[in-house]
Amino acid sequence: MKRQLIAAVGVAAMVVGVAACGSSAKKDDSTGAAKYNGKTVTAWLMSGSAPQAWQDGVKADFEAQYPGAKLNIQIQKWDGIGAKVTTGLSDNSVDVLEVGNTQTTGYAATGGLLDLTADKADLGGADWPANLNASSVLDGKQYAAPWYFTNRVVIYNKALWTKAGITATPKTLDEFYGDLDKLKTTAGVSQPIYLPGQEWYTYFGLLAGTGGQIAKQTGTTWAGNLESPEAKAAFQTFQKLQSYSTAPKDKDEATPEQTTVFAKGDVGAMIGLGWEAPDPKDIPASDIGYFAIPGATADKPSGVFLGGSNLAIAQDTKNPDLAKGLLKIMLTDKYEGQMAATGLIPNKTSLDSLATTPFAQAAIPASANGATTPNTPNWSNVENTPNPIKDFLAAVLQGADYDATAKKYDATMTQLLGQKQ
Amino acid sequence: MRRSIIGRSWPNAIAVVLFVFFMFPVYWMFSTAFKRNSDIISKTPVFFPLRGTLEHFSTATGAAQFWEMVGNSFTVTVLAVLGSLVIATLASFAIARMKFRGRKSFVLVIMLAQMAPWEVMTIAVYMIVREKDMLDSLVPLTLFYMMMVLPFTIWTLRGFIAAVPKELEESAMVDGCTRTQAFVKVVFPLLAPGLMTTSLFGFITAWNELPLVLILNKATGPGSAQTLPLWLTSFQSLFGDDWGATMAASTLFAIPVLIIFLFLQRNAVGGMTAGAVKG
Amino acid sequence: MAVQSEPVRVQSPGGVKGSPLGSGRPVVGPSLLSRSTPYLLLLPAIVATLALLGWPLVKTFELSFQNLNKRQLILHLTEWNGFSNYKDQLTSSEFWHTTGRTIAFTTVNVVLIMVGGTLVGLLLNRLGKKMRILLQAALMLAWAMPIVAAATVFSWLFDSRFGVVNWFLDQLGWHSMANYNWYSSQYGTFFVIILLIVWQSIPFVAFNMYAGLTTIPAELYEAARMDGAGSWRIFRWVVFPSLKPFFLSTTFLEIIWVFKSFAQILAVNAGGPQGLTQTLPFYAYIQGTGNQHYGIGATIAVLTILMLVVLMAYYFRIILKQEDEL
Repeated sequence: MKRQLIAAVGVAAMVVGVAACGSSAKKDDSTGAAKYNGKTVTAWLMSGSAPQAWQDGVKADFEAQYPGAKLNIQIQKWDGIGAKVTTGLSDNSVDVLEVGNTQTTGYAATGGLLDLTADKADLGGADWPANLNASSVLDGKQYAAPWYFTNRVVIYNKALWTKAGITATPKTLDEFYGDLDKLKTTAGVSQPIYLPGQEWYTYFGLLAGTGGQIAKQTGTTWAGNLESPEAKAAFQTFQKLQSYSTAPKDKDEATPEQTTVFAKGDVGAMIGLGWEAPDPKDIPASDIGYFAIPGATADKPSGVFLGGSNLAIAQDTKNPDLAKGLLKIMLTDKYEGQMAATGLIPNKTSLDSLATTPFAQAAIPASANGATTPNTPNWSNVENTPNPIKDFLAAVLQGADYDATAKKYDATMTQLLGQKQ
Repeated sequence: MRRSIIGRSWPNAIAVVLFVFFMFPVYWMFSTAFKRNSDIISKTPVFFPLRGTLEHFSTATGAAQFWEMVGNSFTVTVLAVLGSLVIATLASFAIARMKFRGRKSFVLVIMLAQMAPWEVMTIAVYMIVREKDMLDSLVPLTLFYMMMVLPFTIWTLRGFIAAVPKELEESAMVDGCTRTQAFVKVVFPLLAPGLMTTSLFGFITAWNELPLVLILNKATGPGSAQTLPLWLTSFQSLFGDDWGATMAASTLFAIPVLIIFLFLQRNAVGGMTAGAVKG
Repeated sequence: MAVQSEPVRVQSPGGVKGSPLGSGRPVVGPSLLSRSTPYLLLLPAIVATLALLGWPLVKTFELSFQNLNKRQLILHLTEWNGFSNYKDQLTSSEFWHTTGRTIAFTTVNVVLIMVGGTLVGLLLNRLGKKMRILLQAALMLAWAMPIVAAATVFSWLFDSRFGVVNWFLDQLGWHSMANYNWYSSQYGTFFVIILLIVWQSIPFVAFNMYAGLTTIPAELYEAARMDGAGSWRIFRWVVFPSLKPFFLSTTFLEIIWVFKSFAQILAVNAGGPQGLTQTLPFYAYIQGTGNQHYGIGATIAVLTILMLVVLMAYYFRIILKQEDEL
């Protein structure tokens, strides 16, 4: 139920807000107040993204900096978001919008997003890490600004791990398997880890961590790459982890909501995001631990899928200057810091220290080894229902031959990635 | 003797089985709305939410602009149903009682109109509404919902009208009524069941519509033109389905339909007769 | 009320002319006004249909000849591409597989719904008052349940680990069903979807059937029973002929509704496993709204309508023939 980040924010956000205040520079003070009268900037944020305090602060700062202008923040639900963003860009109902990082390139390619290349420096672009900024760039042009990121870590039930006689979190995959073996034989543990077979983010991360690619580019065309040896190796790791779970092989982490299963208290661990931690009413926060999925060797954790959101401006906005001004406020250290305080990874490493939640402590080291989905406008075709990667995982986990199945779904992916725009 | 008891009781036995079959999923929705999360997902099903909670209901009703959406949904649904009833009564009277050129073509159009794939036509509807600059408004929603239920309404009402014996109307006219008066005083009262049946159907259709409102009315916040189906699906997302809240919301969502049914029950059920028979 | 005995005879093919006064014409004079009356009455319906249905339909037809994706929609571009959407679909084996599957899916559902609904309707007619109201209430609740909720509940009743159905089968002693995965096969998934659709559709048919039965005069049953007819014969020779129009029109509606249903398929297993439970409207929705290839979605929609019209041509003829007899 804690999809909302809001609960996690609490006091920390406020404190950070005050501490990091200095950096919001005033720029437009030369112009008169009347200039902005009657102008409204509409911003779309996704449900569960920005805490209320963040929204209120941004609104206050924006309206103070641009007297007379109004900021209308509209919270959008995830259901049907693709069609909503497309139509929103087409009918001019939004100026500044949050776009999921796997969707950004697709919208950049439509011509619906404003080219921000010239504004990058002003928005603080010099500090954005390359892997976080990758999804905002298409053909060398900047179409969005990285806003916040997050990646999945192992969330574990400390009480059960102690009961199994495990004293330290694993540093390598082999140690991890060993711990899961111990949990398996521990009384009161229904399954060592909850990992549904279609949880493709973890598979994607394992693959990216080994330097492999889920789809590869030759010239201008993209093709599915599940047949590659790296993809097969990553699958074997995923399969091994999944074998410790009794979760369905043909469902993803949303059905049933894995938090609800984990919160029952008899599951050793799950792989999830910060806000998937169980409600303290079910399992006290002190009994929940976090660690990055270990890598093959102790020096580097496994790769992760970098989920997150970018902020973009609609090409058709009537007030590009105000929209850019708003974007700048949203991306200041003050507000990025507030996002970090909720346990998310901010868009510059200098703010990482503000992400102090136990989840973030585990997630940030792994994020250095994180990757986003292939940077091609058609990527969202793959992620949409029916997602061929999910179908592929379910099929092979249920016993289908790897190579033949990989070939079949590579063909599907190639076809989806090559669709006309 | 023994045989006849069995003979008399088997319909009741089957009825009990059917009652359980039809009722159980509904009960499951209702009871889940009151269960704690740990009881919702459970290896041994929890049939009675004895350690219940109202948490899911407060999640559901605590959603932003909930009451505004309730208002919007009622406005749109009621206007759409009333609109279609008025238009359909006129049209079905014409096709049930009058002979004129083009009548058959009209009936054919009405049959074809029931096949309209609205879910896939949403983008065309969107482009039209965008062109007319009517996004984020309840007006296009009302009009299109009205259209979605109009063919069924005409189709069913004409059956009801046809079932009213012409003699009744004619004798009223012999008594000095005009044709309009005859209709209003004699036929219309007999149509009550038909009007109720079709309004129930129309209400369910319009009340549940999602694909269109999703792309037409995207603005959120106070004063927006969003309706309840958007709220109902908001508890399911990329990150997981909040089953408890979905079930609580669904329970609340179904209440108006049930109230209308209970209100119309006697007439609606008895009343479908004529329309169906005349089909 | 005269209605009670009339409808049966009015419906029988020979009985049409039995209505002594025929149409309304003799009463209303043939003035210009009265000749235009039917058209005036139809005017609002015609205007609404043309503007609110005709226009979007024409637009959808137009879009089906366009390359219309995110880019074109956002930038308001019109890119005609002739018949290429149609060619792509009509030459794709997936399209034809889906079509075949849709027809089979519709047939199975409609047969189950009509048979089930008729039987439940007959049962309602036999029950005592209390029992009848109880069963009617259950039927109504099933009918009124929002599809989102119904689909969620069903997909979850059949969940492999936490589902009540598997738990129940296990309790009954069928232990191999304890963790049975309904969604790993095409048939298992279809079973759940069909059960869901049939469950939610039977009430409409049953209510109509029951209502229809109450109009059949008791004398007809009596007469048949005197002649020594059994239940089946009574149904075949008394009930069925009287309610033929009901069967025609309800089957017509159910075919359309089932054919068009896709929310249930989406919610239960998203067309899985491996796309094996996709039907045409689902496919159109995924291509159009999901993948945002709106042109292709429109093409599939147009093909879907054409297919429905062809499939229903027989029905149109029967029903229009009935119109002559009105």
